[in-house]
Amino acid sequence: MDDAEPLAIPGNWNFNYRYFAGETATRFFEELRDNSRIMGTRNPVSGAVMVPARSFSDVDYVEATEWVEVGNAGILEAFSIVGTKFPDLPDPPFVLGYVTLDGADTAILNHVTGIDLSDIEAAAKILLQQPRVRVVFKDHREGRITDFHFELLSKRDPGGS
Amino acid sequence: MSDRIAIAGVGQTVYRRCHQDKNTAELVREAVTGALEDADIGLDGIDLIVGGAAPDALCGIYNIDLMSISRPGIPYFRVNTGGATGSSAVLAGMTWIAAGRAKAVLVVAVERMGHATTAQSIFNSIFDPIYEKDISMSTISMVALRATMLMQKYGFTSDHWAGLAARNSAASVLNDTIEKPRHFTKNDVSASGILAWPIHRLEACPTSEGACAVVLMADPQVGARNAAWVHGTGALSDTYAMGDRFHRPEGSLVNLVTLEKSAAKAYREAGITNPLAELDMVEIQAPFASSEIMAYLALGLCGESDAVAFTERAIAETADIAIQPSGGPQACNPISATALIRITEAALQVRGKAGRRQIDGVRKTMSTGQGGATQFSTAVVLGKQRP
Repeated sequence: MDDAEPLAIPGNWNFNYRYFAGETATRFFEELRDNSRIMGTRNPVSGAVMVPARSFSDVDYVEATEWVEVGNAGILEAFSIVGTKFPDLPDPPFVLGYVTLDGADTAILNHVTGIDLSDIEAAAKILLQQPRVRVVFKDHREGRITDFHFELLSKRDPGGS
Repeated sequence: MSDRIAIAGVGQTVYRRCHQDKNTAELVREAVTGALEDADIGLDGIDLIVGGAAPDALCGIYNIDLMSISRPGIPYFRVNTGGATGSSAVLAGMTWIAAGRAKAVLVVAVERMGHATTAQSIFNSIFDPIYEKDISMSTISMVALRATMLMQKYGFTSDHWAGLAARNSAASVLNDTIEKPRHFTKNDVSASGILAWPIHRLEACPTSEGACAVVLMADPQVGARNAAWVHGTGALSDTYAMGDRFHRPEGSLVNLVTLEKSAAKAYREAGITNPLAELDMVEIQAPFASSEIMAYLALGLCGESDAVAFTERAIAETADIAIQPSGGPQACNPISATALIRITEAALQVRGKAGRRQIDGVRKTMSTGQGGATQFSTAVVLGKQRP
């Protein structure tokens, strides 16, 4: 008994789900897919524009029904350059970050391209400057957050729509 | 009803990557037995058990606490606030004592993440499946986002992250609750490869399993026990959405507003006006160096203008306060239990029972809890004196 390897019984969770997005997120994704537009909703108390669109403000807990189109460019507020392969995530290196789009008061997460990642430290130095980025839509959109990503704008190109 | 509560006993398993030789209930029993013995009380004296267990998917058993923590004949409930689970469970237990419903409460938290063979893909499932999960987010890139903001905002460099990781690893060598402490230098961290820039492999906490238990007791019952007294507490929740926290007047994503307010309440209750001068040690629920620095600010150990200078003193251990005497969560981070371990470490130090890592003359301490994407914060001040 003393020499026995402790038993490890194999296990596996493989459940399938469908996540109900709600009417507001449904419209947000429809606008992305059909009109290549990024839409927010306005908090009626503070006037803040929430992007991605929310049916209510989490700050004031009030319903937000007014829809607002925001710009197709903005500021990269925070980023990371993923440098290691994690199970079920894309091959590294890739960049993700939160961007405040022009006209929005909250930031939205997505992948960021348009930067040379062959030297990660050099790329980080550029991204630390909080550069402006623009939205790039996929040609074939399916109504998901992955229908677009951000791309770095050069300094001379102010971007925006 | 007594308004004085103490930690009368603590029990811990060792922490290691995998406890292959024990099932979960056996792990829990080891910590519970230790805590009851330390508190000189039997299970028949326990009026309530509060269990701490974070995401079920990490251990692959749904409601793992039901089969491992709950005891026949004693009221039970579970708390889950992510990484703050253990400290939230302590605060929940205290409410029963404060309300006069219990004289002694057993708080138990257990982490079994060694069951998971693909932990990082499970961590991706904590993100909002509607707007964020598909953007390949992990708990590590979530932390990295904040680290880059700290670099932008205050001028921190990769050297600071590596320096703190190395200091915490050196402290962990003296911690006998960690089976295999990792001892490495700042240069080892910098050379260990990028997980998610600016975070290097050795900066990330290792997979850790184990159980931790404490006995909370109302004053008259504490008697002459060598106890750690609760001097002040605070806890607060923030919005789930990280993107909503960039442009708020009260502070951006790197300002831990909920921890700041929780600490302010705990200090007020404890009569602390100058935390750096009055606290002897802090145990911060910070699995990464950047999380530790955000807490320095929120705990009032430094201001925005001297955040970098204070961090450099913290790395050199000349900050006039002991920080992470256990090595902190960077050395060992059993998620469900980690915030309870921060309180347990402070209790051991206050009671003079911290073994080789004991600091001389610890009278007042602060322990924090942080959970979710810094959605939940807790702050607990423990002291040697009966308040």
